Amino acid sequence: MKPFRFRATVNGRPVDLPVDPRRRLLDVLREDLGLTGTKEGCGEGECGACTVLLDGRPVNACLVLAPEAAGCDITTIEGVAVEGRLHPIQEAFLEAGAVQCGYCTPGMILAAKALLDKDPRPTDQAIKTAVSGNLCRCTGYVKIVKAVRLAAARLAREEGAV
Amino acid sequence: MTGQADGKMPAVSSVIGRSCPRVDGADKVTGSALFAADRRMEGMLYARVLRSTVPHAVLRRIDAEAARAVPGVAAVYTAADIPGENRVGIIVKDEPVLVDDRIRRVGDPLALVVAGNEQALAAAMSEIEVFYEELPAVFSPEEAMAGGAPAIHGQGNIQSVTRIVRGDVDSALKEARAVISRRYTTQMVEHAYLEPEAGLAAVVDGLVTIWVSTQNPHYDRREVARVLGIGQNRVRVVQSPTGGGFGGKLDISVQCLLGLAAWKTGRPVRMVYSREESMAASPKRHPCVIDYTSACDGDGRLLAVKVKIVGDTGAYASYGPATLKRAAVHATGPYEVPNVFIESYCVYTNNPTAGAMRGFGVPQVAFAHESQMDLLAGALGLDPFTIRLRNCFRPGGVTATGQRLLHSVGIKETIDRARAKAEELGMLEGKR
Amino acid sequence: MKKRGIGVGCMWYGIGNTGAPNPAGAFLDFLEDGTVLVLTGCADIGQGSSTALAQIAAGELGVNIEDILVVAGDTGVSPDAGATSASRQTYISGNAVLLAARQAKEVLLQEAAGVLGAAASELGLGGGYVWRGGERTPVTVKDILARCRQKGKLTLGSGWFNPLTTGLDEAGQGVPYATYSYATQVAEVEVDTETGKVSVLRLAAAHDVGRAVNPQAVEGQIEGGCLMGIGYALLEEVKVDRGRVGNPRYAEYILPMSLDAPEIHAIIVEDPEPTGPYGAKGVGEPALIPTAAAIANAVADALGVRFYDLPVTPEKILAALTAEGDHKSPDE
Ligand code: FES
Ligand code: FES
Repeated sequence: MKPFRFRATVNGRPVDLPVDPRRRLLDVLREDLGLTGTKEGCGEGECGACTVLLDGRPVNACLVLAPEAAGCDITTIEGVAVEGRLHPIQEAFLEAGAVQCGYCTPGMILAAKALLDKDPRPTDQAIKTAVSGNLCRCTGYVKIVKAVRLAAARLAREEGAV
Repeated sequence: MTGQADGKMPAVSSVIGRSCPRVDGADKVTGSALFAADRRMEGMLYARVLRSTVPHAVLRRIDAEAARAVPGVAAVYTAADIPGENRVGIIVKDEPVLVDDRIRRVGDPLALVVAGNEQALAAAMSEIEVFYEELPAVFSPEEAMAGGAPAIHGQGNIQSVTRIVRGDVDSALKEARAVISRRYTTQMVEHAYLEPEAGLAAVVDGLVTIWVSTQNPHYDRREVARVLGIGQNRVRVVQSPTGGGFGGKLDISVQCLLGLAAWKTGRPVRMVYSREESMAASPKRHPCVIDYTSACDGDGRLLAVKVKIVGDTGAYASYGPATLKRAAVHATGPYEVPNVFIESYCVYTNNPTAGAMRGFGVPQVAFAHESQMDLLAGALGLDPFTIRLRNCFRPGGVTATGQRLLHSVGIKETIDRARAKAEELGMLEGKR
Repeated sequence: MKKRGIGVGCMWYGIGNTGAPNPAGAFLDFLEDGTVLVLTGCADIGQGSSTALAQIAAGELGVNIEDILVVAGDTGVSPDAGATSASRQTYISGNAVLLAARQAKEVLLQEAAGVLGAAASELGLGGGYVWRGGERTPVTVKDILARCRQKGKLTLGSGWFNPLTTGLDEAGQGVPYATYSYATQVAEVEVDTETGKVSVLRLAAAHDVGRAVNPQAVEGQIEGGCLMGIGYALLEEVKVDRGRVGNPRYAEYILPMSLDAPEIHAIIVEDPEPTGPYGAKGVGEPALIPTAAAIANAVADALGVRFYDLPVTPEKILAALTAEGDHKSPDE
């Protein structure tokens, strides 16, 4: 099949490359752009390990074909820290002990970011719902929920300080 | 630095007992941790393994000529290409890297395809022809242990038996105030770690180097060296960040196949299981049938247990013998029982292989012994906490294997603390 | 109708392989700038062994954890530590690292003893200084390291540890493990008698780990184990038909998800093990072992009907409740 020009913004940077239109966004990110922080756990939309943000919305990159993401603003885990400084969600994941094997972590952090970007004061139930498409086999989710709560409080404080 | 300012020697406790953040945490929250599937090398090839679709068969021939002719295919390997020993296994070397004589389960590896891209790989897989003669198969330990059952590994299908005998169970049963006998069954379970099996191998400075998701890199090295017929010092296994294991990454998965492919082609080779392949081909938790009899006196003190555990280890031993032995040793639960007769059987079938999974047979027996404790408590009108406190090990207690427990016997404290927490939370309200 | 029930599950778990040798080794290099390299075969699979081993080395050498680099699971450089299984690595590799640290430390203490005119046994290291009988001396660890190097002494250590066990005899008698971890979990469930669905509301999980080297990591193990135990009790089953896995996909093999996670109260009990590093035993597997037992007992408590077959699915519950309506088969 004829490649098409995949043009998008990935982690704030413009990207323009020829891509087979049948290719999944996940492969474009991991293989073509070398952004391997986005993980593949199932390839069929069941685990959330491949979660990235498409114009701020969390999507499973394994279910999105490259053409569907063209023109979008894409955020992967590599784009969450700003200039080498960890994002408060990343810090909170570390501090709260929400990371064990770390395979679900990039997807979890992006799902959490999408939540906090639109609901800065979520309830525990809202947090659990926001990450309900992201499986974690290690943590029992307890510290993940705690980390998101902690990040929300920190972001609110930062907000207040500005 | 801690402890310096006040002129006191920094106590060990300034670091032991402290919730330090994970040393690899920053890499994992930024996405920079390189898991095995994240690695790539110049000139890298891709590998995939063709697996059997039948549970039991004599393998006659594999015709890979057409597959080898697919453009982009670098090689197709079968058992004949293995330079060293074609058997692996942590306890018993009973599992082929690539089947040479007999297929023993659905999912047994038959041929390894190596190609320059995924499309060629897929095309070649469908071109391989496998000729076999199906054999009668057994799908439960009961059938497998019956007389005349097809022998999966040459001799009988009972892989191992563990027996623990202490005191005189039969007379204890006669004296008991309450005797409870039940059969418990537990299911096969999947580890379901989020990261499917993956690895990358290359010959680097003459060393077969394998980056792999694993729970035991040194075991992997032993097996790869034996299978390739080279010295252990010619093999380097580097554990990649591993996306969960829970016992399921203790066995050989991609290691030997990757070693073979890199060694033979001289090129870097990567192999990543799909979720489906991971779940279909990896070892599982042993399904068990447990016949459990417990007896106690009028105060609820255990007098005897008689337990028979049968575990289905599937086509290969894997960690099965260790799992069933551990299940036997732990069958009493954390309780002092003067008279025991415990037997456990690890049995081959043509089911998926069961190996190590978090708990190694103990979650299975815990379901049984804890149900029994509640049944005994019910029979005597005792509270579930009371009967456990009455029987749990104390320092100086003796286990079913005759071991005297001297130190660090915290079971009583865990019962007290769990109960106190449950009370504090109001969990016990309206209950006792 | 919703029925509430409480159940208790207890367990014990022998740390390490059953009645078989299972040693682990470690190498340690105290570098001249005061930082430390630890080489271990111990695979960190997410449970946090590299962090715990760094803490153990830091504790023994009196340095900050940031000054320890653990290189783990690379057969090109690290000694064999056996498998990350049997909840053995904190106890066994922890001891190996501790012994390696002691050996390297001994070189420093001998050197410091010469400088201070003291016996090495009176001395300790901490916060960058050499300590004598609990008092800080002016001698820094860096001075001592430099002196060692000037004399051509390297500050290296190696250690290995194999738990003291015996095999089991014909009658299964012997000492299969050097130490055991213990736990009790209490589960609170609610069973919907219309749908058969069991919700685990709360879990109190008390675990005797000897000593928690890293309490947050221990809690993480307990919480993760509890959720895996919920899956084992209520949801998970590999369906096998004539040897073939029938549900090899996440869509068909149902795992507990965030919304299934109950309140989990992890309680760390510390009854120190004299042979463990700082008293530590293990927790990885114990975390999950009593959960299904406690839940099954809680369901029996809620319904008065007991299930002998895992997992306790809504179908099994509904079938049992219907049967109970006809002819009673309640719990004894
Ligand atoms: S890999 Fe995309 S949801 Fe699992
Ligand atoms: S930390 Fe391992 S899957 Fe979430």
